[in-house]
Amino acid sequence: MFEAFSLPFFQRGLAEILLLAIPCGLIGSWVVLRGLAFHSHAVGTATFPGLVLADGLGFAAALGAFGAAALFTLLTVAIARSRRTGADSVTALALAACLAGGVILASDVFNSGANVDTLLFGSLLAIGSGDLWLAAVVAGLAVVASFFVGQHWLARGFDEGASRALRSDSALFDAALLTVVAATVVATLSAVGALLVSTLIVVPAATARLFTARLSTLLTAATLLVAAEGVFGLWLSVQTNAPPGATIAVTSGAAFALALGARTISRRGMWRAAAVAAALLALAGFGAGCGSQSSGGDGPKVVATTTQVGDFVAEIGGDQVDLSTILKPNTDPHEYEPRPSDVQAVADADIIFRSGGHLDDWTEDLIKDSGSDAEVVDLSTHLPVRLFGEEEHDHEGEAHEDEGHEAGGEEFDPHWWQDPVNVRFAAARIESTLSDANPAASAYYQGRLRRFDNQIRNLTRQTKSCVRRVPAGDRKIVTDHDAFAYFTNRFGIETVGTVIPALTTEAQPSAGDLADLEATIRRENVKAIFPEESVSPALSEALAKDTGATTEYSLYGDTLGPAGSDGETWLGSMKSNVNAVVAGMSGGKVTCFGGQDG
Amino acid sequence: MAEPAIAAAHMSLGYAGRAVLRGLEFQVPTGSRVGILGPNGGGKTTLFRALTGEIEPLSGHLEVNATTATVAQTDRSRLDYPVSALDVATMGSLARLPWWKRPGRAERRRAREALAEVGLAELADSTFGDLSGGQRQRVLIARALTADAELLLMDEPFTGLDTTNEQRLEELIDSLAVKGRTVMIATHEVEQAERWDLVLCLNGEQISFGDPAVAISKPVLEATYGGHIVEIPGQPELGVLPAHHHHHDEGHEGAGQ
Repeated sequence: MFEAFSLPFFQRGLAEILLLAIPCGLIGSWVVLRGLAFHSHAVGTATFPGLVLADGLGFAAALGAFGAAALFTLLTVAIARSRRTGADSVTALALAACLAGGVILASDVFNSGANVDTLLFGSLLAIGSGDLWLAAVVAGLAVVASFFVGQHWLARGFDEGASRALRSDSALFDAALLTVVAATVVATLSAVGALLVSTLIVVPAATARLFTARLSTLLTAATLLVAAEGVFGLWLSVQTNAPPGATIAVTSGAAFALALGARTISRRGMWRAAAVAAALLALAGFGAGCGSQSSGGDGPKVVATTTQVGDFVAEIGGDQVDLSTILKPNTDPHEYEPRPSDVQAVADADIIFRSGGHLDDWTEDLIKDSGSDAEVVDLSTHLPVRLFGEEEHDHEGEAHEDEGHEAGGEEFDPHWWQDPVNVRFAAARIESTLSDANPAASAYYQGRLRRFDNQIRNLTRQTKSCVRRVPAGDRKIVTDHDAFAYFTNRFGIETVGTVIPALTTEAQPSAGDLADLEATIRRENVKAIFPEESVSPALSEALAKDTGATTEYSLYGDTLGPAGSDGETWLGSMKSNVNAVVAGMSGGKVTCFGGQDG
Repeated sequence: MAEPAIAAAHMSLGYAGRAVLRGLEFQVPTGSRVGILGPNGGGKTTLFRALTGEIEPLSGHLEVNATTATVAQTDRSRLDYPVSALDVATMGSLARLPWWKRPGRAERRRAREALAEVGLAELADSTFGDLSGGQRQRVLIARALTADAELLLMDEPFTGLDTTNEQRLEELIDSLAVKGRTVMIATHEVEQAERWDLVLCLNGEQISFGDPAVAISKPVLEATYGGHIVEIPGQPELGVLPAHHHHHDEGHEGAGQ
């Protein structure tokens, strides 16, 4: 039950949360006393554009976050002072502006996705030494500021009218408080992310305030509460294999509810009802656990990052690998947050197979943070076909003009497995890696590779002949994700624009993009629109309604399907995609694969 | 004769260049009790702000030869703050300490003495929010004493007090003055003001100033309160119609319930 405490990544998470308890507890108490709860939440969100800028321009994330937080604070204070508007409405306005600015920067300026995401959500399982240093420095800052300026924060908060006579009304004291709040928020980002900072800063202090009547007890209780909730939440996340940030948020929320309930009960003498409720809660808590999973095979311990790579390793390794796949079916790889079992699996792994590119670039952090010394194989590096992302295309409907043109500086398109030829190479590489690691099973791996390779070649041959049955002029599709360039490139199909004109599902399309696309669909007489499985189909449906093209078929893009679905394996997902594309292009007249063939 | 605690000459006060209080011309000797009469919105709060140095006179001259402390109405202080009576009284020492210095043992002892002076020695360790209105008022006076304030500005300190507490507060004000502190008290009770050393009547301008026996007259009160004055039958004093100040209670001073 407590073996997790011996894992290095867990210990770093523990150290981080214990360090953060100091600034979060101290400054959180002041935030609550001075009515800055909404402000601190807003500062957390306001770091978003700073993080995007730091990611896009390549400077330290903490610097970007602090810059944005400081700018946000200055702006709200200045506006609230000059206009005598309610500080809350100014904060809300600036908050919305920062979020919008971040989205525009992320989707239209830098086309960045995954990196910003990990920062927006943060993780106690991915704490580096830089994060620890930042937390330690901010903890020191919080202690020093509370010690030397705290008396003025208290006097001014308690009685603003008298604060001038007590010389506590200096704007510098308030500036110091807001600065430390911003620093605390920035330090907390890496643990729980921008959207959940208040769970460590505001909620524990608000809980402590319910049952403390002196400042010193409040400061102590809030600090201890952050530490307790953080450690408990982290431990619980390992037990339940849930993301730690969210687990801590739920823990601190529950603690607040319990404290509020206990206070109400002790004032009304409802002890019996309280005991029953507490017993029920405890039962519910212990029933919620669930374990981590691996294939349990013999042979080397192997981690695969994506569902496709996991499937390839399973095809080659069979029961002679102990395989853990990090991404779950139907999870958008861009929205991945590491879970305790993932870090554990990476820490224990002998070999890690990566899909490569921006789809799983979080792997590097995961490997570094887990202390793993596994051999890392990036399958995307040695492939016969490597495509690169489109340049900012101003000419609608000609999205494929630069396909296959490998100009330097363009982003590698990581969806290489949509081309079966690439998969044959990747499979061979997996076989040789596994054989090197486990020579005893080499013949077994080679036998499975031959079988898999045959299946891939059959699939390719059948798909080509099937696509040829669709009239050449009809071989056009619209899909809402640029994931299918390898597929269409291999089989001579034209992609007429994409609903989301960027490589990641993070980006949002503009109204102009959509209007251009609708015009193109009408002009080119496109018959089918394909929403990708893991992306919300609402956009595609809106387009279909306007243009009359069908959206009844869907494609497997970034992820395979869950167990039992057509797309459970890569072969299955490819057949399903081919069927859908061909049926869509031919108006349902052509089908390629029946239920059982292969 | 020592220099006066406050001297105002040809002074007008206001915000953003707009005067809300004109024609201030008075001198307050050290150790006197000064009642300030006037309707809500008549300029009492503005005068207090000028005396603490929060705002500068728009014109004229103001001299304050005393360290100043305000004693606000207690419902404005945060009743739910995690502080004891002693903590609040100790805050006064911030006025004397360098900014980076926390109040220490000496300051807390001083605050205990101040609480004893206002008659709250036994309640020093009670939570501020748990005290009665009259007790909270006296804690705030103790805070001013800890601050070594020579001039105490009290904003309607009698609002909401029962007769016993009202009497104790009046006695406290008397003893403060005896010990050489100057006390200015904003009030609506003409009768009270008549018992103090000086009275200042304000209504957008200085209506009168001086010994209450001379400075309070029916025409002065009519000018101060805008004509809503009654002579109470059988009593020599003049009264302000109660309905009058309820009517003005939505003013920016936000007086308590």
